[in-house]
Amino acid sequence: MMRRTLVAYALLVTLLLAPSVALAEEHFVAPHVPISENALTSAELVDLPDMFDGSVVIFRGEAIGEAMVRGNWAWLHLNDDAYMERNIEEGAPLAGLNSGMPIWVPASEAAKVSVFGDYRHGGDIVEVRGVFNAACPEHGGDMDIHAVHVEVIRRGREVSDPVSSNKLVWAVVVSLAAAGAFVANRNLYRIRESRRS
Amino acid sequence: MILRPRKDDHLIVGKYVGKIVVGIGLLMAIPLLTSLVFGEWDTALDFVIGMGACFTSGYGLQVLCRTEKDLRLAHGLVVASGSWIAATLLGAIPHWLSGHEGSYLNAMFDLMSGYTTTGLYLIQDLDHISYGLNMWRHLLTYAGGQGIVVIALTFLVKGTAGAYRMYVGEGKDERLLPNVIETARAIWLVSLTWLGIGTAALTVTGLALGQGPVRAFLQGLWVFMGAWSTGGFAPQSYNTMWFHSPIYEIICIVIFVAGSFNFALHWALWLGDRKELRRNIEIMSFTVTALITVSIATFGLSHLGVYPDAVNLFRKTFYQVISAHTTTGFSTIYSRAFVTQWGPVAMLATMLAMAIGGSACSTAGGIKGIRIGVLTKAYLQDVRSMISPDSAVVVERYHHIRDMVLEDRVVRTALMITLAYVTAYAVLTVLGVLLGYGFTQAAFEGVSAASNTGLSCGITAPDMPNLLKWAYIVAMWMGRLEFMSVLALAGHFYAIVRGK
Repeated sequence: MMRRTLVAYALLVTLLLAPSVALAEEHFVAPHVPISENALTSAELVDLPDMFDGSVVIFRGEAIGEAMVRGNWAWLHLNDDAYMERNIEEGAPLAGLNSGMPIWVPASEAAKVSVFGDYRHGGDIVEVRGVFNAACPEHGGDMDIHAVHVEVIRRGREVSDPVSSNKLVWAVVVSLAAAGAFVANRNLYRIRESRRS
Repeated sequence: MILRPRKDDHLIVGKYVGKIVVGIGLLMAIPLLTSLVFGEWDTALDFVIGMGACFTSGYGLQVLCRTEKDLRLAHGLVVASGSWIAATLLGAIPHWLSGHEGSYLNAMFDLMSGYTTTGLYLIQDLDHISYGLNMWRHLLTYAGGQGIVVIALTFLVKGTAGAYRMYVGEGKDERLLPNVIETARAIWLVSLTWLGIGTAALTVTGLALGQGPVRAFLQGLWVFMGAWSTGGFAPQSYNTMWFHSPIYEIICIVIFVAGSFNFALHWALWLGDRKELRRNIEIMSFTVTALITVSIATFGLSHLGVYPDAVNLFRKTFYQVISAHTTTGFSTIYSRAFVTQWGPVAMLATMLAMAIGGSACSTAGGIKGIRIGVLTKAYLQDVRSMISPDSAVVVERYHHIRDMVLEDRVVRTALMITLAYVTAYAVLTVLGVLLGYGFTQAAFEGVSAASNTGLSCGITAPDMPNLLKWAYIVAMWMGRLEFMSVLALAGHFYAIVRGK
């Protein structure tokens, strides 16, 4: 029963979205970026929202945080910044702030993503193809991409959290110094109090 | 004649700065515990080192600076501003050790931004930082919102006459209760009550929006801290756009508007005086200026046709502009979208809202509603005087917790502080332009930094010029302490060099 319902929903979603995607493809106006070859970056989309508004775009990035499922649909957030392939915890060099794009996809597609980027994980690298909205009428004017298909290009991985031996030495040294300062302060306070009494 | 500070003066300042630094170290116990709970061992070491440095410096200062003398007003101001520098220098250690900051200057920038509840940040790859570090970022902005001196007054400083001087030095002058220590505790009582309710509301909403229980709770707690302190830090680089939810946005608005209200107003409401909400000059001033700035931004955006319908236009405009007006800095649009979508009219309205800011003696920054209200009343009084008979005495009144007569002394103080803010905005704008940024962007970012708002149009980034980073750090610090304490500290150093 559940399976039938899911299939029915997927069919319905496909039927509803197919015309809009097709329509958007017809109105694709990005002259410099053939959609079949190049994925657009979030920087390009944020800098030139009017140029790509309503166009079908290909977007690729690291899934981060979590998938927030809202009924049959879900929000994914894909970061396409310098930390997409390897983040700072894995030794990537510092290369600026994060950047990415929110993606609205069917929940069944979002379920394909199993690893989300955070301190302990490099997230799945995901590619989506969908309609870019500079100010989405369905989502309160948010800038987003509505996609119907999600492709996981590379699975995410766990990131280890090794303890630095240098830090360990420093932690011991500084803790001893702090304890010494605390004891000295307390003793001086007691001496002063005893002199008073 | 300028008197050079004596040895006792240095001892007093050192002793109290030491106590506040110990307070910062104690505060680090919370992110340390968070790291231990989540097994983030390397991050835990960052906080052990940070705490150790704070305790060594703090207790060391108290050992070296033993004195029984109490603070004078000048000492209080110097302690307040000096302790913010010490807290920034030492509090930046975990940030720096995390490996996510490009330099120690960047780490200090983030610390000062947090303490001053500004919300601009230079931390890189925010979306991959540990829970412990994220807890520290939000905790320091929550603590900074109440005031780090307030923390010390609550837990570490015994009731002395000098305690009030430190409290004043942190840009607060309201006594909710006759005793300043009791006042500090009352501020915490109000803030912690809101913390419980606000975090619960955001957590439940986060769960309903599809978040897992742990993330819903932690993000609810952190977003609350960012909102209540009008700080603007958020756990993800997407800020509050992450949630894509009008309910979440409404809860945030309620929290950051409440956070921008005067603690004296909160205390009056706490005691059951609801009329205060309607009569208070700051609320009236905020309502009028919020209406004006939202209207200007709406006009600008509707003219450009950025948003597809009136509901979305209002939702986006109201959230960003009220966030700016309360100097929170939460946003549901990209930083660059201020330039690429909003355009100069809406940016101007947002700038105006940031410049005015929230209420005095609150977690908010900017010129403050009470000063705008007082100056408006002063203008009206002058106009009424001009059209009245020569023999008439025109008296202007306003209501702030109690009815007050508008005196020249009050107007003068309001005007001085307003001018100081306007000067800071202008200096940062000129500096931004000199460093190659466009006028509107330089002004937007400069006003945001000096008013402790934290909205960015894209200038604040790790690769921005170091000179601008220093300028923003100083501006955030001066803006939060409302200039007087920082000027007192500068005077203290001048007196050391040139005094007799």
